[in-house]
Amino acid sequence: MPGVQPSRVTVREQPGLRPAPGGGRGAGKQVRAAATSNELWLAIHLPHYVLESLRRSTAAAQPVAGHDSGTAIVAVDLEGGGKVVCAGDAAAVAAGVTRGMALNSALALLPGLNVLARDAQAERALLEAVATRAIGFTPRVVLEPPDAVLLEVRGSLRLFGGVRRFIAQVRERLQSMGVAPLLALTPTPLASLWFARMGEEVALRSRDGLASRLARLPLACARWPEKRLESLAAMGVRTIGDCLKLPRDGFARRFAPQMLRALDRATGCAPDPRVAFVPRQRYSVRRDLEPEIFDTERLGRAAGPLVDELCSFLDLRCCGVDVLDFSLLHGDVPPTRVCLRFAEPTAQAGRIAELLRERLARTELPGPVRALRLRSGPFMVANQQAGDLFARARGRTTSVPQLVERLRARLGTDAVYGIQAVPEHRPESAWEKGDILLFQEKGDILLFHRRTESGHGKGECPLFPRPLWLLAEPQPLEGEEHPRHEGRLEFEEGPERIESGWWDGRDVRRDYYVARTTGGMRLWVFRERCAEGRWFLHGVFG
Amino acid sequence: MSSIDDLLRHPGLWRAREQGGATSQPAGRPTGYAALDRCLPGGGWPAQGLIEILTDRHGVGELSLLMPALAALSHEDHGDHGEGWLACVAPPYQPYAPALVACGIDVRRLLLVQAQPAEWAMEQALRSGACSAVLGWAEFRNRQGLRRLQLATEQSRCMAVLFRRLADGNEPSPAVLRIALESSRKGLVVHIVKSRGGQAATVQLGWLDPAAHAVAH
Repeated sequence: MPGVQPSRVTVREQPGLRPAPGGGRGAGKQVRAAATSNELWLAIHLPHYVLESLRRSTAAAQPVAGHDSGTAIVAVDLEGGGKVVCAGDAAAVAAGVTRGMALNSALALLPGLNVLARDAQAERALLEAVATRAIGFTPRVVLEPPDAVLLEVRGSLRLFGGVRRFIAQVRERLQSMGVAPLLALTPTPLASLWFARMGEEVALRSRDGLASRLARLPLACARWPEKRLESLAAMGVRTIGDCLKLPRDGFARRFAPQMLRALDRATGCAPDPRVAFVPRQRYSVRRDLEPEIFDTERLGRAAGPLVDELCSFLDLRCCGVDVLDFSLLHGDVPPTRVCLRFAEPTAQAGRIAELLRERLARTELPGPVRALRLRSGPFMVANQQAGDLFARARGRTTSVPQLVERLRARLGTDAVYGIQAVPEHRPESAWEKGDILLFQEKGDILLFHRRTESGHGKGECPLFPRPLWLLAEPQPLEGEEHPRHEGRLEFEEGPERIESGWWDGRDVRRDYYVARTTGGMRLWVFRERCAEGRWFLHGVFG
Repeated sequence: MSSIDDLLRHPGLWRAREQGGATSQPAGRPTGYAALDRCLPGGGWPAQGLIEILTDRHGVGELSLLMPALAALSHEDHGDHGEGWLACVAPPYQPYAPALVACGIDVRRLLLVQAQPAEWAMEQALRSGACSAVLGWAEFRNRQGLRRLQLATEQSRCMAVLFRRLADGNEPSPAVLRIALESSRKGLVVHIVKSRGGQAATVQLGWLDPAAHAVAH
């Protein structure tokens, strides 16, 4: 006798579900495997995420109540009244403090208890940090708030040397960032999550034994509403396996349809599409300093871990930044801002730290610094350069962009520049000042000169000499018919007539001469071609 | 990795015989002026160490004197010596790009730095290893700054030139080569005041035309 067909309502609510025509009796066995995809999901469950996120956000956790002397730490949810313990560390648990216990009872057990406030932002940041690290292992990463991250890893196993090594590497990477994860690997995301939540670190590669392994899990793993669990328990249903034995339509009618869907998804009978995590396009992190810092040197050292974190983040994404904004937060006075600009996108911690030190040394602090905030500019594709095996032997330690940015950090942006020649007759317009690094990229001006050189001999200044030094402004000289500068000038060459620029208002009508002083200096002087005919000094032949 | 050849090429290595005889003097960079090359121990500007040029006036030909060597540095293949960049720290006037191009300098790789005092910027440029020549116009009041600069030049393969006043010539200096410039009616006269491994001498160079030299080159 075939089982009762699912009602029309159920079908409408479960569009992805394909009920078997004949069917069995259990909620789990009714449906053939709907998704034939070949996925493997690793769940990263963070059982201690509340305390771990607090530890990450503050260098030394700040107590809201109680005494500092206590080593045991518990967290309370201030938004929920702050009366109930949400998490406790090992010392607190050993003393008998449990989750959900009243804070007063916990304090009675441990008078020296250190009580911290939960920080939802920090918890989210921790999850995102874990996900960002996980992107180094696979591009498909899914956030499962508040305490888990899912990774689709089928394509990565071979690269990382098999399931066991892969899991070991993930664990090592996570532990290095100060979290203690529970890891479980199964073909469906929900099953992995349930195993990890229950602390069963399984690694199941095929779907065959999945349902039977899942059957042993207690229902708490699914995090269904408390009321539903109670009524299920009253029916004697305590494990996933018990649940799977129930008739599908009855189960769906009696409980929420999404519970049936969750069971189908966990066993791989229904597809479980997930939205992939997209990492941020900018980096922003805040670190409280405890105790407050007065001197810039210690501040530079305190910023070190932030910079390291930023750089490992950038490394994972093969990106660099060229703008970094440090805010030094004080108590009452507005924050001091230190903005670092790099000549090229960089992801080198040493380079950033060095520039930061240089800038901090010139910064005056209006008061003690309580917190540091680091914000990056947009990520850019960094110049990925292969490490040079012989770099040391060749004695090259820094590149020109690095030299330029170090000089600029100390002297200001305008103090370091480049020049280039411009094809123009007026001497003051025949050159221009500019950003030395941009000239590098353009690079066609000089080629132009070289070409003319080969074609016509001397190129841009073929007939008349040009001085190596040019005065910023022509300097008037004494003398009517004959100019004087430290005595009477003797003409060597000239005149060279330059008349140009009537079209743009900076009209030039001059006769240039090369003149020699009695002291042996060679000067470039000109006489204006007008009624007055005054003499000017314009350049020096260095 | 470090063979004996690498060790022997190390710039910090001092050989006892370097002190006196000109026989094993490391080859210098040709100055471009034959009369001057003959009077310098390595047949040119010393390949390492600080060069001091003493002059009270700008415009006697102090820059023209260096131009042929700088032009050569600017265009040579710099596999080993940085990237062929030239740095000018605190120049007294604006270097004029068309004239530099005419002398054969690659102005794209000319780094100009306005810094007072100039010591720090010069030292950074020298230590970076990214430049093949660093010119500085600095007034050193303390001997220590000069000594630091000399140390920086000894550790790099960079040509380092420092322009100072004639009066500073009376003070002792760690520079490898010191020359004083004098302008006369016949042109530039170079007095070699101090030259490690060489002798004091006076060279009459006449009027310099670096652009003409670049064309011949």
